[in-house]
Amino acid sequence: MARVKITEYRAKRLILGDEYSGVSITSKSEVPFAKDTHLVVKVDQGIKKRMKQGLVAVDIQPNKVSSQLKEWEKRGFTSFLAEELVPHEQSEEQYLSLERVREGIRLLHARMGGIDIEEHPETLIKTTLSRNTVQEVSANTGLPEHFLNRLLSMFEEQHFAFLEINPLLVRGENVYLLDAAVLVDSAAQFFVSEGWSDSDIPEESATHETEAKIIDLQKTTPASLKLKVLNPNGSLFFLLSGGGGSIVAADEAALLGKGSEIGNYGEYSGGPTKEETYLYAKQVIALMLASKAKRKTLVIAGGVANFTDVKTTFAGIVLALSESAPELRRQGIRVFVRRGGPNEKEGLAHMQDFLEQEDLLGVVYGSDTPITQAVDDAVATL
Amino acid sequence: MTILDHIRKGERGILVSGNHPKIVQSILDFDYLSGNSQSVQAIVTNGKRSQKFFWGTKEILIPCYKSFAEVPAEKGTHVSFLLNVQSGRRAVESTHAFFQAFPEALGAHIFAENVPEAHATELIEAYAGKKILAGPSGVGLLVSGALKLGAIGGVDASQLVSNKLMTKGSVAVVSTSGGMTGELIHAVAEADRRLSFAFCIGGDRFPVSSLGEVLALAEADPETKGIAYFGELGGVDEYEIVELIRSKKLTKPVVAYIAGIIDESFDTHVQFGHAKALVANKDESARAKREALRAVGVHAADSFPEFLKALEGLPGGEEADREFDIAPLMTRRASILSTREVLDVSDIPAFVENGKLIPQESSFMTSATGALLGKELTSPVSKAFFEAVGKLLIDHGGNVSGAVTAMITARAGKDLVSSLSAGLLTIGPRFGGAINDAAKLWMRGVATKATAAGFVEEVTKSGSLILGIGHKKYRVGIPDPRVSAIESFTELLPRHEYFAFARSVEEVTTGKNGSLILNVDGAIAALTLDVLAECEGYSQKELQILADAEFFNALFVLPRTAGFMSHIIEQKRNDEGLFRLPDSLLFTRPLDEDSV
Repeated sequence: MARVKITEYRAKRLILGDEYSGVSITSKSEVPFAKDTHLVVKVDQGIKKRMKQGLVAVDIQPNKVSSQLKEWEKRGFTSFLAEELVPHEQSEEQYLSLERVREGIRLLHARMGGIDIEEHPETLIKTTLSRNTVQEVSANTGLPEHFLNRLLSMFEEQHFAFLEINPLLVRGENVYLLDAAVLVDSAAQFFVSEGWSDSDIPEESATHETEAKIIDLQKTTPASLKLKVLNPNGSLFFLLSGGGGSIVAADEAALLGKGSEIGNYGEYSGGPTKEETYLYAKQVIALMLASKAKRKTLVIAGGVANFTDVKTTFAGIVLALSESAPELRRQGIRVFVRRGGPNEKEGLAHMQDFLEQEDLLGVVYGSDTPITQAVDDAVATL
Repeated sequence: MTILDHIRKGERGILVSGNHPKIVQSILDFDYLSGNSQSVQAIVTNGKRSQKFFWGTKEILIPCYKSFAEVPAEKGTHVSFLLNVQSGRRAVESTHAFFQAFPEALGAHIFAENVPEAHATELIEAYAGKKILAGPSGVGLLVSGALKLGAIGGVDASQLVSNKLMTKGSVAVVSTSGGMTGELIHAVAEADRRLSFAFCIGGDRFPVSSLGEVLALAEADPETKGIAYFGELGGVDEYEIVELIRSKKLTKPVVAYIAGIIDESFDTHVQFGHAKALVANKDESARAKREALRAVGVHAADSFPEFLKALEGLPGGEEADREFDIAPLMTRRASILSTREVLDVSDIPAFVENGKLIPQESSFMTSATGALLGKELTSPVSKAFFEAVGKLLIDHGGNVSGAVTAMITARAGKDLVSSLSAGLLTIGPRFGGAINDAAKLWMRGVATKATAAGFVEEVTKSGSLILGIGHKKYRVGIPDPRVSAIESFTELLPRHEYFAFARSVEEVTTGKNGSLILNVDGAIAALTLDVLAECEGYSQKELQILADAEFFNALFVLPRTAGFMSHIIEQKRNDEGLFRLPDSLLFTRPLDEDSV
């Protein structure tokens, strides 16, 4: 994914520099604030709607911080932020967001405080921010010029892709970032020196053990390997390839009324090796075998690849299938295949021979049959 | 005149930046099958001076240069497009460098994923609206029968044919997804329509040529009569189509499939494969976009099968397909670069005519053989004979084991002497070294006055091969021209008992197998014995001493050293990279052997 979150601590530190006095802490760290300081403490792992989930503690004293963090740690959180509370009226709160769009940097600003922006889009000023328009934008919004220039340099040098400050306080030339969320462009990491790095990017959260395993596998390859577990006890499991083709195949299952039966969505693309495809397929097969559904089926589908080698990737899938062949047979699972692309003939023949030999054959289609046919055939057996 | 018309008129020269041989080969195959000239002019990449590709079944060299500035003017005048297969990191600088060197060029395709967003917007600012630029990411641009700029439409020759890419038609395929561009191109062919052009916008957030620009191009293109579009949930590009149709800037029929209904099966919006494929607002859902398109008359299908059916309803009237025989393209194998030709049959000189020596130039072999023997050659016949042997044995092409080893060593970066030594070390009983052993056999046969049949019987019974007999290529009916040329010396040698014996052995062996003919090693061995005995007065005993000292192998090693060095120097001159044996040539244990 090109746009990734960085922690609020790193975001503010980059924007405000040494002026920022907040700290990144754990329950074991010292709290470097005077005893009588009023603090705001938050979970800092790129989670949305923290307030609603009770992941923000407002106005607590340094000696209470440790017990609050321990409580959050029990819930599985590991990264926290502490900063001084800024007392203010709700009417002071402003909204600001910047996003890189096709035309440049789009700025959205609302001066009216305490309003839900999504429900009142008419209160927003929408404009394009560039070095040439800083003065004008500053005049229209009341945001200090030095602050706008600083934010622009974040987009230029630190490859910010999206920034949202809500609420933002502006007092003359001073700005207070009460809450800030930043997405950076991970493709630009090479060009960022002395800024954010991998350690500032919170780990993607996995809601299922298999997802966690695929996330770990993804880290080891330039190819794209994605998996989302939808219904662990579903009956229809997918080994899909290609960003577009995978959605078309999944769409067909939804159209046939089997949306809730889908065990997983995911795709492999970008030319994974035989070994990588094997490891990916192995996880999907294990997930399927663990499902408690009575009837189950596996669909291996993808579009007509432009250059991903069908023979190579299918060799990996066959290897993974062969390891579980007896169990797949025992559970009465049949495999439905549709794929096209370079070395299609050899790849499909290998798959067909294997499935026949192991008595797992549903169908094997090539590029002459529409991508959705294998899904139709598989669903018919459920 | 649109950019597509320029392309169809022949402005289709491509410069490649970076290295992706599979894609470049598919472009050359497309050109070849289309009956056009080679579109790929040169490759800009480090560490090579040329790269080998196939043109049909023939191998060709495409020149490589280190920078765009080094591309010579006569190549540059044919350049209209850049195929940029550099990494995402280097895509922007190499694209700028290209357009600086070739400001008149029409466009480019950037293949890399992971181009930073800021670089993409920089490219948009510089080139959007001025050039046509497919990507970043995706598979590029195709104009049927004219231009293939990228992996689009497939990289196998069989895909090019089954997708009918060489036939000009009337349907434009437009898609963000690279994989689905391939799928749609195939589907259009299955619906018995042919392409006017196909354009993959790429799944990145900021494609340089936008959907709107590409559709405007389709509208302006006189060849395009209908449009097949594949889109996904996420983003608002489809509202661009709606706007274009509303404002009558797009009037040609559009058939569309917007994927992503599956998103409705989940509790929260899911991030799908492409960077853009996430619903952030209600109007970015597949359903909302389908409905908006339908409202302006687009056939936005409910299901993919319905979409495939709808393609048949697009206007047709396509030109007829040509027939292609691609079997030869599918079985070709790349050679190790070696342009040194096997000695041409017509080039083999005649040494003797009407019983008289034809004067030959040069005297190097005469001096060298004299040195090997330890005494100067005296007879003009023996001088001419050893000159002939030298000439015939310098090289026999790049296929033989010594030349292969020398070339591979050179390509591993070793120096001339190491590479030469590696090549020389292969000379032995199976390669080159047969002359000495053949000489020993002929001497034994003549000395023991054996009959040919008995001799063959005796040698084969002992389990040995008869060195000097047998050839992989030549056989009875297809004589080895080198043997025939050298055999002419027998006219000047009254007895030639060794050669006569060798021929009588051949008569026995070819009776068993037509390929067991007297080969050039055997012939040289026999004639050397005859020449030394008859012209230089060598006794059987003296010949035996020469054989024991491997004099006869020296006759091979000496000229072949020049041959090996010529192969080594050729590899270095062309800067061929490290050699790795292709998997297809290695027998590996089948994958599932363990588990069966």
